[in-house]
Amino acid sequence: MATTTAAVTLSSDLMQDTLSVSTETTLMKAGTTADGLDQVRMGYNKVPTGTSFDLLDATAAGADKASKVLISNDTTDETYYITIVIDAKEIGRLYAGDWMFIPWNQDDATHDLEVTAFGGTNTISWWCWHEGETLPTSAD
Amino acid sequence: MATTTATITINSTDLLSDELSLSTTATLTAAGNSTGLTDVSGLARKTVAGAHGQYTLFDGSDYTADKAHKLYLKNISTTASEFFLVTVNAEDVGRLYAGDWALIPWSAHDNDCDIKIDPSANDMTLEYMLFIDE
Repeated sequence: MATTTAAVTLSSDLMQDTLSVSTETTLMKAGTTADGLDQVRMGYNKVPTGTSFDLLDATAAGADKASKVLISNDTTDETYYITIVIDAKEIGRLYAGDWMFIPWNQDDATHDLEVTAFGGTNTISWWCWHEGETLPTSAD
Repeated sequence: MATTTATITINSTDLLSDELSLSTTATLTAAGNSTGLTDVSGLARKTVAGAHGQYTLFDGSDYTADKAHKLYLKNISTTASEFFLVTVNAEDVGRLYAGDWALIPWSAHDNDCDIKIDPSANDMTLEYMLFIDE
């Protein structure tokens, strides 16, 4: 079984005492501790303004699974951001330097994960850990 | 200025033929500038007891719209089949299975942009913390 671990540490001085939270998980297939997510898609893209793009297309194989998505906005201009949209609903804004790590349930064919850039061309790197995907048969 | 950092580290020695190791750190700042976020909900736990159902964790109308809020979630269940379905603005984001965590950007885009959790079983517990962009 593939073993992929994801750890996070959150640290802050915004309270009088130090805030520090750390945890780690192993990326497992849905509902099991016996088998890890064994497929990954990844990319590095320039995202121009003015158009919404499907970063990740939902597929039936991803329905009700435990897919995980990491997106890092590698842009350096603090006023630039991308919106994260799932099935036409805005979830949040990923500003320059931010990253996100979310579960992604492709519960229907329209459940694509979309990005739109604002401020200027944003540069993002991304990974999606998933299971069950088979490559589409070539049409030509 | 408060400084809050979030670091993610991902490792795998056997997912690919070569070792996978990546790490990145973000300093959590307000929308469109480099000022650190100054408000946090505090680390909290919610157990959805009894007959399980969808629960509103954060109401979009309570937070400033189109900001750079960040939400940390962790499902502390140890039963592999148990998950929280996380929704934003009534749209499924994903299933957070036992032991899984997430860091989700949240723009509180409009009053309907609530964050809700729906546990798959009774008496499941979620840990959460919201870093708030005023």
